[in-house]
Amino acid sequence: MFEIAFNDKSEVGLTGRLDAAQAAHAQQFLDQLAGPCVLDMATLDYISSAGLGVLLKTHKRMLAGSSGMSLINVNPHIIDIFRYSGFDKLFNIKVLGT
Amino acid sequence: MREEYERSFDEISRIVDDTEKFFSSNGVDVSLRTAVDLCIEELFVNMVNYNTETAARILLEMSTVDRGIQVGLTDFDVKRFDPTVLNEVDIDAPVAERTPGGLGLYLVLKMVDSIHYEYNNRQSRITFTIKAVKENV
Repeated sequence: MFEIAFNDKSEVGLTGRLDAAQAAHAQQFLDQLAGPCVLDMATLDYISSAGLGVLLKTHKRMLAGSSGMSLINVNPHIIDIFRYSGFDKLFNIKVLGT
Repeated sequence: MREEYERSFDEISRIVDDTEKFFSSNGVDVSLRTAVDLCIEELFVNMVNYNTETAARILLEMSTVDRGIQVGLTDFDVKRFDPTVLNEVDIDAPVAERTPGGLGLYLVLKMVDSIHYEYNNRQSRITFTIKAVKENV
């Protein structure tokens, strides 16, 4: 299961598993947004390289317009994947519970 | 556990369900789930994307090992492609130089404790092991 939608703070909330089967859906949603953008990952359980690709593509597009994405409430499992991939250096990240 | 899957991303959800059942019924450490799910997905997706000359289903096998799990993925009627040969990714590159893609197998090689590739009779078989405590720590 994967869901992407605006929350009541006008942030983009991600829920569930952002895998290769869901990447196109996420990309389609994010392609409609202008930066800056905050992604709330409090209820995102999992992300694979396909999901990382979606985040990077969107971040680069928004940076070209001088504003990128911030990622908030990122859980420890996903932080590990960001660290392995170097994504922790590419985004402004706030870890869940901090 | 031994199960075959169609060559479609739509099968990922069934793989996740089957993995969850295996973990639950065999008492595998749940802290390994993210790494196991990610490695299976990345290898499965790689087979679906790059072995396009066949319609054969992909075989997934799981078994328990001391402190962890061993997973095998077998692709049938395909050319040789060894995913264990590391395709270097510069994870320190600035965002302007990073491009989407190319991270999947890199992440697999970072997360497994061991990985082995065999190719015989047009069958590619990848076996990896992930354990609760890394052997090199």
